[in-house]
Amino acid sequence: MTHFATLTNALMAWDDPATALKDAVLDHSRELDRFLLEIEHRAFRIAQVALRDADDALDVVQDAMLKLARNYAAKPSVEWRPLFYRILGNGIRDLQRRRTVRKRLMVWRPGPKDDPQNEAQDPLEHAADSSPAIPEKLMLAQALEQLEVSLRNLPARQREAFALRNFEGMDVAEAARAMGCSEGSVKTHYWRAVHTLREQLGEVW
Amino acid sequence: MGEDSKTPLEERSRRLFDDSVAAVDMRMRSRLTQARHAALAAARRPRTRLFGVALWPAAGTAGAAVLAAGLWLALAAGHRPLSPSGERPSFEDLDIVAASDGGSGDAMKMMQDDVEFYAWAAAQSDKSADGHAG
Repeated sequence: MTHFATLTNALMAWDDPATALKDAVLDHSRELDRFLLEIEHRAFRIAQVALRDADDALDVVQDAMLKLARNYAAKPSVEWRPLFYRILGNGIRDLQRRRTVRKRLMVWRPGPKDDPQNEAQDPLEHAADSSPAIPEKLMLAQALEQLEVSLRNLPARQREAFALRNFEGMDVAEAARAMGCSEGSVKTHYWRAVHTLREQLGEVW
Repeated sequence: MGEDSKTPLEERSRRLFDDSVAAVDMRMRSRLTQARHAALAAARRPRTRLFGVALWPAAGTAGAAVLAAGLWLALAAGHRPLSPSGERPSFEDLDIVAASDGGSGDAMKMMQDDVEFYAWAAAQSDKSADGHAG
């Protein structure tokens, strides 16, 4: 339902327009809150896989939330998800570009994020304890790490298509809106991603 | 690979991803919650304030337009420099200089062809100016 329709219905339902308007705005705000709550953890993980840094991932997710809330909150709620992931994708790409520039400028002084030996920032280190026995947990952790490494090795658009289609469960049309490209491009990127992942993970999975 | 049929790789990677989402630590969950609340609070704030930052780019553009219009009017009103002969060049003269003709070439080419003449004209103009000053 659009923001306008929500407001119109609210105004028709109550005798007191001021109260009705206030309630409608509150409803809309709650709806946006629910939407962000629903996606924030998944979006964070998608950003973390791409950026390999929890703080950077948090920054881009926070920025995407802010931009969506400020600029697109009045859009119909069904449009929020592709819009949010489009903003997030742009944020991830911007940060990766800045990192590339920084790496070129600071090549003589590698920072902790550029250090391939630095395993302290591995997201698996922060994984909460859960019930599976140690060997099973270890296997799952290894499988996840292999998946993340393979995903990072994919071209950005293929990784984006795989994340949106497979992790987020978007259909081709929604993923196309989120990526700002045609449905055919989404299919191609996704097919190539699956093909490459199968080649890389096939032996160990 | 249809829309609904998932390969084992797709299914397994999805499960692993879901597990990793569930394992996001409490510290990060808390920070994400704070980020969400900040975004919602920002959305509730009005954006267009009269003296707020949001209007600065528009104000800058308007200011530049006013400045450009002012300069143009000042030039048109007689603040242009005088020509060596003491007459103000008219817009018709400028049109003639700026106009290009397929047969005679453009104004820049004319100047390049007669460099010596223009150097002589400049020297005469300087002499004339010195005479007036002295």
